[in-house]
Amino acid sequence: MGSRRVEKGVRRGRAFEIEVDGRKIIAHEGETIGSALLAAGVRTLRHTVKRNHPRGIYCGIGLCYECAMIINGVPNTRACQTLATPGCRVETQEGLGRLEGER
Amino acid sequence: MKEAELLILGSGPAGLAAAIEATRAGARVAVLDENARPGGQIYRQLNSGFSVTDPDVLGHDYERGQELLAEFGSIANRVEYLDDALVWDISPDRELAFLRREESKSLGYRTLIIAVGAYDRPVPFPGWTLPGVFTAGGGQRLVKTQQVLPGERILLAGTGPLQLAVANQITDAGGKVEAIVEAGNIDSWMSLARGAWGQWTLIADAWRYWSGIRKAGIPLWREHIIVEARGDGRVEEAVVARVDENWRPVPGTQRTLAVDAVCVGYGFVPSVELTRLAGCEHRYEPRLGGWVPTRGDNMETSVPNIYAAGDCAGVAGSWVAIEEGRIAGLAAARALGYLSVEDAARRMQPSRERLAGLLRLRQALDEISVPRPGLYELATDDTIVCRCEELTLGELKAALAEDVADLNEVKRITRVGMGNCQGRMCGPALLEILARHRGISPADITYLSPRPPIRPVPMAAVAAHRGVAQA
Repeated sequence: MGSRRVEKGVRRGRAFEIEVDGRKIIAHEGETIGSALLAAGVRTLRHTVKRNHPRGIYCGIGLCYECAMIINGVPNTRACQTLATPGCRVETQEGLGRLEGER
Repeated sequence: MKEAELLILGSGPAGLAAAIEATRAGARVAVLDENARPGGQIYRQLNSGFSVTDPDVLGHDYERGQELLAEFGSIANRVEYLDDALVWDISPDRELAFLRREESKSLGYRTLIIAVGAYDRPVPFPGWTLPGVFTAGGGQRLVKTQQVLPGERILLAGTGPLQLAVANQITDAGGKVEAIVEAGNIDSWMSLARGAWGQWTLIADAWRYWSGIRKAGIPLWREHIIVEARGDGRVEEAVVARVDENWRPVPGTQRTLAVDAVCVGYGFVPSVELTRLAGCEHRYEPRLGGWVPTRGDNMETSVPNIYAAGDCAGVAGSWVAIEEGRIAGLAAARALGYLSVEDAARRMQPSRERLAGLLRLRQALDEISVPRPGLYELATDDTIVCRCEELTLGELKAALAEDVADLNEVKRITRVGMGNCQGRMCGPALLEILARHRGISPADITYLSPRPPIRPVPMAAVAAHRGVAQA
């Protein structure tokens, strides 16, 4: 519910799966991870360090870093700027996040 | 280290126009842009994967952008274009540090044109950090170039023509706009029409937007403002209220709308981190969006060999940006010896005439969109003002010394502006809040000083940078 893809005037690229917190969602070639998540109804992309507040896409152009997620193991990666690729792994970032393998 | 003869930062309208003119004049041009493709925000191209079947859906700016991009395409084989380049430092010895494809790079320059644009003015109000609150520009990007609607029931709140454009784009895409809330008043809209007299294409656009809104039956509430976004973990409703001429909410006029997305647009703020880092002199000019570099007629800043063009030097929109870009490109080519003074002046003349024609429109637009005092009084003590450091207005006020007039001092005490966005999101509001708190003009406050790295980059990139490695 909520957001959805527009199908008017534009043809989307091929569809593939990406993994978000262990769940599979559909993304299309050319979509950012943030857009694919929005289309899947996911708005909370991280929780803040101090107050554990939910945050999602805000500026949408790569300046505010509110959409920081752990993407393919790398924390603080901007979901609004990062293109979805087949099989990429995305995690909701808790606080500062952590690097893969880091405890 | 490699040195570019003419380096242009940004490939939106101003950067593209500068590159076109300078290259045609014979200069050897390199262009850096942090995006994957040229166009900037307004002429942003669809990512590969998408294909356009009906250009109307993308709007007229997109078509105009295609013309400029085609012009750039015709000289592109003579330009060194570096995409995905995140500039994080400019040192006084004419050297630039940037991150590209996760690698640390540096590049010197003889002449530099900074054309990095502007971004949506962030305004703190209760609930503005909830997922589902977007900037107007961010919402527009989602609809236009990602083809995703930001919500099922969308509220557009703010001021100026961008809202009308976004409303039409959402409607054309099959989405639902609950309402448009415009803080400005009817008189301002009339003066806009007067100011636009003669700019027929713009009037045609405005008319199309206006009739699109009427046709879709979208309520447009003038002299109204969003005072709060509410919801459990995401936007579920928005509270709006009528405002007086200072944009202060009128008691008893609040109403609540059930919406799941809010796009907020109060005009734009020039991106001045790079001109500031480069040591250019700046002045506070509310009508141009805040702090802007001082410039001469040829778009030259106070620092020799550095020019600034387009919205990053004063928000005036893409039409002005193109002409400023052309002038800056020609001036740089002239300075590099590719054009005679006379030849440069002759080539600049059409742009100067178009700029003069746009001036009236720009003044009229300013009348609507310059934020009134009430805008920065919406935050309450528990509203977050610094998104990165999660500082509330109450915490900020408690930390302010009586005589503080320097945001860098506030930064040292409270950590505002130290997070990932490096003060881009909190800075403009902090300036206004501190000015009111002290009862002084924002012009008398020292703005946040950018410190490298001005964008979050891996420590390895900073370490790899020459200057740091030697230290």
